[in-house]
Amino acid sequence: MSSKVVVSAKHVTKRFGSQVVFEDVTLDVHKKEVVAIIGPSGAGKSTFIRCVNRLHPFDEGTLEVLGHTLTGGGHSPSREILQDIRTRVGMVFQTFNLFPHLSVLNNIILAPMEVKKIHRQQAARQAMELLALVGLEHKAEMFPRRLSGGEQQRVAICRALAMDPEIMLFDEPTSMLDPELVGEVLAAIRRLAQQGMTMLLVTHEMQFAKEVADTVIIMADHGIVEKGPAAKVLDAPATERARVFLRRILKPTEVAAEAAAPARGRF
Amino acid sequence: MHIPILTIPRLYAGVIAQGAVKDLALTVVSTIVSFILGTLGAAGRLYGPWLVKTVIYWYVEIIRGLPAILQLFIIYFGFTQWGIDFSPLTAALIWLVAYGTGYGVEIFRSGIMEVPHGQSEAAAALGLSRRTTMLRIILPQAYAAMLPPLTSFVVLQLKNTTLLYLVGYADIMYQARLGTDATEQPGILYLMAALAYLIMSLAIGRLGYRLERRTAAYR
Repeated sequence: MSSKVVVSAKHVTKRFGSQVVFEDVTLDVHKKEVVAIIGPSGAGKSTFIRCVNRLHPFDEGTLEVLGHTLTGGGHSPSREILQDIRTRVGMVFQTFNLFPHLSVLNNIILAPMEVKKIHRQQAARQAMELLALVGLEHKAEMFPRRLSGGEQQRVAICRALAMDPEIMLFDEPTSMLDPELVGEVLAAIRRLAQQGMTMLLVTHEMQFAKEVADTVIIMADHGIVEKGPAAKVLDAPATERARVFLRRILKPTEVAAEAAAPARGRF
Repeated sequence: MHIPILTIPRLYAGVIAQGAVKDLALTVVSTIVSFILGTLGAAGRLYGPWLVKTVIYWYVEIIRGLPAILQLFIIYFGFTQWGIDFSPLTAALIWLVAYGTGYGVEIFRSGIMEVPHGQSEAAAALGLSRRTTMLRIILPQAYAAMLPPLTSFVVLQLKNTTLLYLVGYADIMYQARLGTDATEQPGILYLMAALAYLIMSLAIGRLGYRLERRTAAYR
C-alpha cells in the first residue's frame, strides 16, 4: 500500500427521493489498498461503491476518482470523464450480469474491442490468459448459462480485468453462490489482492475480509460507524453499533437465544 | 354460364397466386420498415425527452384505438378531400407501416423492458457507450424475448392485407371476390384464398419458430 490516494470521498450523501441511503461518508482509498465494506443490508454499501464508477449519482459532497472530481447535485460529468473512470475502474456484481447471448470469450473481449479498440486476436489472446488464471479456458466458447454460478462469477472477474483496471469494485461477489462455490471465487479475489490491485469489496464474508483487507469499514445506520485496520475493527471494534453488528454476524445462534429468552420468561 | 367446379382452381390459381405474392411482398416490406421505426419509437418512448415520449405515446394510442379499416379509409379516401391522392399501393404501404409501427413500438418496448437492469449496468461499468450497449447488449436480448409476439404480429399484418381489396388493391381477396362475381362459386374460390393465406402464415410461423430455436441456445 503506497500513500497515493486514488479514491477520495468527502462528505458524500446519497438519497433516493427523500429517503437517505447514506450521508456524510468520508473515506480515502490508497493505491494497492484493499478496503472491505461490511455492515447490515440496507446500509448503503452497494450504493456507495456504485457512486465510485458513477453508476449512481449522489446528492452532496465530492468524490475524487483517479484524478477526476465528481460532485453531488445535478452536475453530470462529461462523457469523456465518465468513460475514463469506467474504463479504469472495474466492477463485479452480486448477480454476475454476464451477457447471456454472448459466449464466455465474447463477454470478455467485447469492451476491450469496443472501448479500447484492441484488435480481436489480441483481445482474445489476453482473454484466454485471464481465463487460464481462473481455470476456465476450456469454457471459452460456452454460453454463460452452461456455467455454474462460481464459474460465471470468475468469468465476470476476467471480463472486468480484461480492461486492465486500476481499481476493482466488488459488490457482494459471493452472496448469490452456493456455499461450496464461494471458495473458488474468493481464491480469484485473493490472488488479485496479492498482486496489489486496489479494491473496494462489499462482502458478508468476515473471515475473508479479515484475511485480505487492509482496511475494514462498517457501514450501518446510513453512514460509516467504524473504520480502521482489518484486525482492529473486526476483533476490537470501538463503537457499540459495530459491536452489535459483528455479534449478530459472528454469533447468530447466541443472538437468537438471547432474543428468545425474554419470550420464554413471559409465558 | 356454369363452370364445372373442378376447373375453377385451374382458372383462378394463377391470379390468386399473383395476389398472394403481392400480399406477401407488402407484408415483408411493411414489416421491415415498421421493425426499424418501431425500435426507434420504443427507444424514444423509453429514453427520449418528454416531448418525444408524449408524441410516441399518443401515436400508439391513436393507432391502437382506431379501427384498422377506418385508418385505411382515412389515408385512401379521406386525404382526397384535401387534394392528396394516393394510389392503392401507396395507401396500402403507408397504412401497413403506420399500423405496424404503432404496434411495433409496444412490442419492442416490452422486449427492451424484459432485459434485466443488470445488463445495462454491467455494460456501463465496462465503459461501453449507450449506443454500443443498445446495439450489442440490449437489443439482441430484447429481440429474442419478443420473437413470439413479433411472429404473431407479422401473421396479423399478412391478414390485414385482405382489407386492401376495399381500396382496389389487387390482392388475394380482391381476386377471389372478382372470381366470385364472375362464376358465382364463392365456396371454392374463398377456399382457395384461405389455402393461400394459410400457406403463407404457416411459413411465417415456421420462420419465427426457427429463429426462436436459435436463441434457445443461450436462454
